[in-house]
Amino acid sequence: MTSVYYHIGRYWLLLGNVFSKPERRSVYRRLIIQEIDKIGLQSLGIVGLLSLFMGAVVTLQTAANIDSGWIPRWTIGFTTRQTMILEFSSTIVCLILSGKVGGNISSEIGTMRITEQIDAMEIMGINSSSYLILPKIIAAMFIFPFLVIISMFLGIAAGAGVGTSTGVISMTDYVYGLQYYFEGFQVSYTLIKTVVFAFIITSVSSYHGFYTFGGPREVGESSTRAVVYSMVLILISNYVLTQILLL
Amino acid sequence: MIEVKDISKAFNGNQVLKNISVVFHPGKVNFIIGRSGSGKSVLTKCIVGLMEVDQGEIIFDDRNFTKLDRWARKDIRQEMGMLFQGSALFSSMTVEENVMFPLQMFSRMNKSEMMDRVNFCLKRVNLEGKNHLYPSEISGGMQKRTGIARAIAMNPKYLFCDEPNSGLDPQTAIVIDNLIKEITYEFGSTTVVVSHDMNSVIEIGDHINFIYQGELWWKGDKRAILHTENPELNNFVFPSEFMKEIRESLRG
Repeated sequence: MTSVYYHIGRYWLLLGNVFSKPERRSVYRRLIIQEIDKIGLQSLGIVGLLSLFMGAVVTLQTAANIDSGWIPRWTIGFTTRQTMILEFSSTIVCLILSGKVGGNISSEIGTMRITEQIDAMEIMGINSSSYLILPKIIAAMFIFPFLVIISMFLGIAAGAGVGTSTGVISMTDYVYGLQYYFEGFQVSYTLIKTVVFAFIITSVSSYHGFYTFGGPREVGESSTRAVVYSMVLILISNYVLTQILLL
Repeated sequence: MIEVKDISKAFNGNQVLKNISVVFHPGKVNFIIGRSGSGKSVLTKCIVGLMEVDQGEIIFDDRNFTKLDRWARKDIRQEMGMLFQGSALFSSMTVEENVMFPLQMFSRMNKSEMMDRVNFCLKRVNLEGKNHLYPSEISGGMQKRTGIARAIAMNPKYLFCDEPNSGLDPQTAIVIDNLIKEITYEFGSTTVVVSHDMNSVIEIGDHINFIYQGELWWKGDKRAILHTENPELNNFVFPSEFMKEIRESLRG
């Protein structure tokens, strides 16, 4: 239990350093743009692929489970929309990104630690935690919502494509289902969740990388811990945010 | 000048440094030598502030480093340059970007002034034309020289070198040694070299401090080291029978 408190305390102290005044704003701006490319744009492929298949599968599964003639076919479009917007495009995509982005961040910073690159920054008088972590946090919190919006569109489009091409639903019914009882706040809710998840993924992974000591084996262990802890915290915060925002 | 006054450091009850007091002189190459595990790297990390001391003071030209907080130490840190054992170059940056990094972070130079300074530093370490190579594309000796170029980019008053010759062949090691010596004399910096390479010590050492089991066991110059009667130092400097024969011939 002491160890848990130790990590929580050290995590918050690290965040205190991360959010302290940056040395050179112009350098940080450049770093944020680089991180947006690395964290966000280079994840477009996996997010797109995942979203297309999720949307398609949700459509087919919903169609397969509608046996009763009492349930209208447009329910397929409605269910696909709700599933993609409320949960899949934010939570599932961020869980996948915690593996891709989180693992990458942790191993990158961990390697810098064991090869003394972080020590080199400290000796120069640079706030290494801020320099290395802050641009990643800002970049992720900025770009992840865009990825999630793209995921929503791709998932819903894939559902339409698969639904109409397999004949389980007509385009008219699908579009009616998409528009049925649509609440704009649900999109806001999912984007708020995404921003929180982005913060969790980048800060937790950076924390594990920053406090890596030893050699390559420890870098691997840190990377694993970063992904596991990020995923667990995403699931917990998903529950808490849903309780707060939707009920 | 760097004054280390009575510093101690322990890890989990294991006393690694015991009441060490030593002075590192400006414009001189000051060596810290000792066997592996003797505490010389810990001593250096304490001096540069990567580790906190349990007791004692470290004074950089009348500025008590140990009493300053993290932010107040920044000014002194910007006067430091350090060459790491593994070079510690930023692997995602080119040679040029590595050398330019401290300038971008702290200097008020414009881009062309920074480029001039980078090219000067690279020329100084004989790495002209290697600007756009990445650390993984250059040899170990070149990485060390890039490390030196980065360390001197900000005209450091204090230059620290941790095992500068480890992993280098003897000829490349001498090139690095001579660079450290020339830069020390040229810039008048207080240079502290941690090493157990006796060839370097004899080649460029001005003041030598021998650490043994966490204590400052001996200090003197390179001539004195060859004639010392201190048994622990003798065992360190002349470890083999062959070296002992050399010592006898030197004394004879």
